[in-house]
Amino acid sequence: MKLALTRTFWFRFVAILIILVFAVVLFFIGKQHTVLIDNKTVTVGGQEIRALQLVEIQIDNKDSMELAARDRDKEDVTGQKHSVTVIYTDSNWEEYTIERTFEVPLMQEMVLLSIPTLVANPEADQSLWLENYEPPTYAVTAADREEEVIIDDLSVLLTDI
Amino acid sequence: MTLHMTKTQKLLRIMGNNMVPILFLVICAFGIPLSGYSANFLASEIVIRISRNSFLIVSLLIPILAGMGLNFGMTLGAMAGQIGLILISDWGIVGIPGIILAMIISTPISVLLGWWCGKILNMARGREMVTSYIIGFFMNGIYQLVVLYGMGAVIPVRSNALLLPRGYGIRNTVNLIGIRRALDDLLLIRLFGIPIPLATLLVITVLCLFILWFKKTKLGQDMRAVGQDMEVARAAGIKVEHTRIISIVISTVFAGYGMILYLQNIGTLNTYNSHMQIGMFSVAALLVGGASVSKANIRNVFLGVILFHLMFIISPMAGKNLIGQAQLGEYFRVFVSYGVITISLVLYEVRKKRDQHYVGLQLAADQEALQ
Repeated sequence: MKLALTRTFWFRFVAILIILVFAVVLFFIGKQHTVLIDNKTVTVGGQEIRALQLVEIQIDNKDSMELAARDRDKEDVTGQKHSVTVIYTDSNWEEYTIERTFEVPLMQEMVLLSIPTLVANPEADQSLWLENYEPPTYAVTAADREEEVIIDDLSVLLTDI
Repeated sequence: MTLHMTKTQKLLRIMGNNMVPILFLVICAFGIPLSGYSANFLASEIVIRISRNSFLIVSLLIPILAGMGLNFGMTLGAMAGQIGLILISDWGIVGIPGIILAMIISTPISVLLGWWCGKILNMARGREMVTSYIIGFFMNGIYQLVVLYGMGAVIPVRSNALLLPRGYGIRNTVNLIGIRRALDDLLLIRLFGIPIPLATLLVITVLCLFILWFKKTKLGQDMRAVGQDMEVARAAGIKVEHTRIISIVISTVFAGYGMILYLQNIGTLNTYNSHMQIGMFSVAALLVGGASVSKANIRNVFLGVILFHLMFIISPMAGKNLIGQAQLGEYFRVFVSYGVITISLVLYEVRKKRDQHYVGLQLAADQEALQ
């Protein structure tokens, strides 16, 4: 069959192309990521960075959360570019605010944001305090029992026979 | 000379033409006081049902216009919509972008299935309804093959929340938490305490306007002509088969979108069952609204949703209050759903024969007047 390159064909072709581009845009802006906000003591480059006693965190314009030392919380976000605001007080009760933006790689479902590392290195590259997080294997291991899939509407009749 | 009918005959004729809505009005009139529900509760439930089901029912209008009867094959579109939802759930696309992306994914699948269904229906001319009903069952087998054995094995699906423990196939239920009520809550207002999902109602309004506009287009007029008489339409140069296929394609695509809107409201997808009953209930609701196999309009859609779902809401409680068993209400509504389709189909045939008889009498009267 010979393809007729008429004006109608090109209109349809461009329309399909626009829809495909739109679909890709939707994929980028609608992709959900989980940001784990971690306030635990960590060791970076052989140097120990201690957890903060109490810290207030806000991701984008969502409700802020308070984390004590060794706490971990999570926030679900959509899209790739986000901001984090960290409010904490030092030992002299002086309040500090750090605001940073970060970008979650598209195919990373879950990232871990280390608050102590961010506070210790507020100007550092995001790769220092934001890393991909793979849930432990036991958390995603399948249940032992196989799930029964019911696809036959009439199966209820068969059991009575 | 016109054949005159007495007032009683006219009244009986009107009642005969609207037998099903009248029957449902009577059932609801008895059921509402028995159920004991407040007007506010019933109104809010009805608004939810309208926003949830209307899109699916509107998708049935175009095949009726083209004379193809009630498109039970809309389950094909529903399956396409569900595949779109499974994929966006796996990719983690949420909110409105997720809903639109699911619609985009479902479109080519719906078009393909609709085209194929239309081709078969052209071969089974005159028996479109039963054929489309059986096509739905057949396609369900293919859907199960794809979803139960293809997904995870051939089609990449990574999410453990979706995959069966064996590593392939989708679980019985898919949680649509990411898109749950995303459209409904986009523009939610409260009127006298009744939540009104404006965004969803706006989408349904746009679809209704599209249907009204479509009927006036060249294609819409062609469909009407094909619906009235295929041979006359063919003689007038209309591509009858092509027009009929397009009507089924449009219906299937809209059914896919309707299913996505339906499930975003519900928030859970029953992978292997959600689509099965949707055709039956949509058809029943349309018939309850006073539509017939050959004639339906938007008024029938909304009247049908209100009456049919009102019965669904009140019947369990009415059954419980009446004889102390909610089970009776459950039984009653399932019985009525299938019963109403049967009554409508029988009434359609009776009405057709009666009209033919009336036309015969009119002709005889005209000839008598000429002599």
